[in-house]
Amino acid sequence: MTTTQAVDDDVIHGEWHVRYTYSVGKVAGTFFAALREGRILASRCSDSGLVYLPPRAYCERSFQPCDGWVEAGLAGEIEAATIVTAAFEHLPPPPYAIAYVRLDGVSTAMVNFVRGLALSDVPAAAARLRPGTRVNVVFGAQRAGRITDFHYELA
Amino acid sequence: MDVFVLGLALAPARTRAAGERLEEMVFTVTRAALDDAGVERAAIDQVTLAACDELDGRSISSMLLAMPAGAYLKDEMKCTDSGLTGLCLGATRLAAGPFGLGLVVSWNKSSTAPFEDVMRMRAEPFFTRPIGLNAAIADGLFAGAVAAAYGFSEHDATRQVLDNAARAARNPRAATKPAPSEQAIAASPYLAYPLRQGHRAPLSDGAVAMVLASGDWLARHPAARPLARIAGLGWSVASYQLGRERLAGLSSLHEASSRALGMAGIDLAALDVLELDSQTGWHDAAYRRVFAAADPAALSPSGGAFAQNPYFCTGLVGAAEAVLQTAQRAGPVQRPRPAWAAAQGAHGYAQQGQVVAVFERV
Amino acid sequence: MTQRNVAVVGVGQLPYRTHHADRTYVELAQDATLAALRHAGLAPDDVDAVVFSLAPTQFMGVNDADKWAVDAVWAQGKPFMRVSTGGATGGSAFQAAYQHIASGMFRCVLVVGADRVAETPDAQHVLNLIWDRFYEHDFALNTVTMTALAAQRYMHRYGVTEEQFARVVVRARRNAAGNPNAHLRKPVTVAEVMDSPRVSWPFKRFDICPRSSGAAAMVLCAGDMVARTRCTRPAWVRGASGISHSVFMGDRMTYWSDSEFADHDGFHHAAWAAYRQAGIVDPLRQIQVAEIYDPFSSFQFPQLESLGFCGRGAAAAISDAGGFDLDGGMLAVNPSGGTLCANPIGVTGLVRAADAALQIMGEAGANQVSNVHAAVATAIGGSTQFFTCTVLGDDHA
Repeated sequence: MTTTQAVDDDVIHGEWHVRYTYSVGKVAGTFFAALREGRILASRCSDSGLVYLPPRAYCERSFQPCDGWVEAGLAGEIEAATIVTAAFEHLPPPPYAIAYVRLDGVSTAMVNFVRGLALSDVPAAAARLRPGTRVNVVFGAQRAGRITDFHYELA
Repeated sequence: MDVFVLGLALAPARTRAAGERLEEMVFTVTRAALDDAGVERAAIDQVTLAACDELDGRSISSMLLAMPAGAYLKDEMKCTDSGLTGLCLGATRLAAGPFGLGLVVSWNKSSTAPFEDVMRMRAEPFFTRPIGLNAAIADGLFAGAVAAAYGFSEHDATRQVLDNAARAARNPRAATKPAPSEQAIAASPYLAYPLRQGHRAPLSDGAVAMVLASGDWLARHPAARPLARIAGLGWSVASYQLGRERLAGLSSLHEASSRALGMAGIDLAALDVLELDSQTGWHDAAYRRVFAAADPAALSPSGGAFAQNPYFCTGLVGAAEAVLQTAQRAGPVQRPRPAWAAAQGAHGYAQQGQVVAVFERV
Repeated sequence: MTQRNVAVVGVGQLPYRTHHADRTYVELAQDATLAALRHAGLAPDDVDAVVFSLAPTQFMGVNDADKWAVDAVWAQGKPFMRVSTGGATGGSAFQAAYQHIASGMFRCVLVVGADRVAETPDAQHVLNLIWDRFYEHDFALNTVTMTALAAQRYMHRYGVTEEQFARVVVRARRNAAGNPNAHLRKPVTVAEVMDSPRVSWPFKRFDICPRSSGAAAMVLCAGDMVARTRCTRPAWVRGASGISHSVFMGDRMTYWSDSEFADHDGFHHAAWAAYRQAGIVDPLRQIQVAEIYDPFSSFQFPQLESLGFCGRGAAAAISDAGGFDLDGGMLAVNPSGGTLCANPIGVTGLVRAADAALQIMGEAGANQVSNVHAAVATAIGGSTQFFTCTVLGDDHA
């Protein structure tokens, strides 16, 4: 972490960069390893029967450990979507679309970018992203074992 | 108060829990506490968390961690002072009603974040931060102040480190690490004079979960066997400004301790166990002076922070050790049939905030 | 259910602005404390314990800034703790203060906090960092996009339009004009809202709250201490609940969900828990004022429905017909102007409780609603996942 300071007339400027090392653990590690192979693995709780994406170590509802893996379908349905048209610092340049998609065979929805959609007319593009719309998972050529290895495209 | 500890669990103490995401650690310890109490999550009606966003490396860490702590669609609240403050809030919530059964969960993967950088950013930006203050420097100021006020020497600080480490070596719940030697401590560098690296309790990763029950709930569940009654709670805070009197006076510790003992209706001499959150040997010497009326053998049988030191929740680890003592479950560090056991915890620069919890055998 | 009756006897707020360049963070908290103590006719020595309301510290840039504020709010030598639940922080801190007294452990508690959201230009970056680092952080989620996702879902479910959200903004600004503490007090029209720059569909800039600085404080005491204060018409705490939900929004929007993300239905659980304590069985008949957490124009409809004031999907039509207006409506919703007109994040939930208490006390000034016997105050935090609901009333029977 570094901070820089400079004195103005009525304020003191400061900046803060903090480094962290987040342990991936076994569950996320399994998921990310599968992404490199172009597969999406969801965790399953046999107690509640729920299949989770993102994968979980435990089921929030049964409060038991998730005890199995299920291969998710590479297509699914939009549950919620938006088109970002404002520039936020440290976020991608607008416009872009994101959506929560429930992949086939999974109980929950997972967020990712929706690409390949014309966004110049925002209300028109929004109308193409209504809940229930089918999308496909598209993997990039380069896979780093990160969630950004894939995105969604309209089916 | 009419609030009881029904079950508890401690995460295995490790210098770095590398193979686990934080929420996996929190789920595992919470699940284990529920199993220890013999209750299911469905029976819980409130959850109280204690966590530090900056040490967890997240802007709002409870977003991700409330659910592994059992809070799915439960009444939940988080405080940020210390794990032991979380016990105070959780017990207060239970006493206020309409709750019967609560969880208190706290954690600190101190290996995740740069500890001293996080502490440094606790300094206000105008007068203190440009000079630079962090935990080591504040503790160095504290060590100098108590040395001047009470005549403590480096030898005293080293003695307390060695004594605590010897007790920690018998504690099966301690993080395993090489035993310190007098020579190694004397040879370790000064961090902020007179505090040496070797005087500090090493940080570790850890988590604690407790299941609390109200007296009403217990009356309705006669088969349940509580581990202890929470007899007294005291917490207090001192000035942010680190003057000599603020540093050496330990006013917030005196206040927290007298509130907790007063609520329990006992005096210090009645305590069979008092687990201390001594971040350095200097702290241990100073706390022992404050608690001089207690039996010296009662102080930190577990080895305290020198057994494990998940900094944010070390005080709550001490409370868990105290409860295990009243329940005769402390293993090799068990004291003979304690009737009263207590734990002390601290937080803030040079222990600005202090908390004391007193437990009674049931 | 609780051991003791608890009353709000003092409220202090500073005007909400983009900046308070004349005061430091701790001085803001101090000024609000002084105002609340004066309002109650009490002195710092009368306070037994302090609860500090402080959300993520990255906005104002000092970790654990509550400890810095200890001296300023006269907390030295007293039990003191900070409560932090994201955007719900102020709602949780108020409930913690209430529980301090209801437990029988304390007689008089100060709850205070401050925020300076505009101290950093990176506020939405901070709010991006709240998401899970592995799965969700990369997708430009922040409070704006997260809420846009819920709004899109709500519009799809109930056929609500952008113009209907815009009318919420028009009403909020009209109310804020009468609240000297509100940050945005200039009236706007539906056309102006619709023409403001698009941010994240369906939101335009005027659908979104400002970034505010300011402070709020409240003094609560046990029922048997009210006579010692200046307060002749206290606001009694009748019910309090704070329900938490999964961080994973994608768990809350499918066929297999227990609940519906777009409906804010954590409030269904929190409200009915609080109503049960308060003896409320018909919210629309028994509650006259709602001070609800609405940093976005889309927040009012699902929340009012989950709070039981109308059926699912019915709020927009009632809003269009003026049913939630300050006067003559069926329920006065955010007579203060609400969060759309001031959002000092770390105390926003406390401001809702403070404005609700002032309505019970009959001290809401130009925006006073007549014959207020009960009011509800809410707050929301995290990924629309922490829901606090507090019911205040003019008696404690």
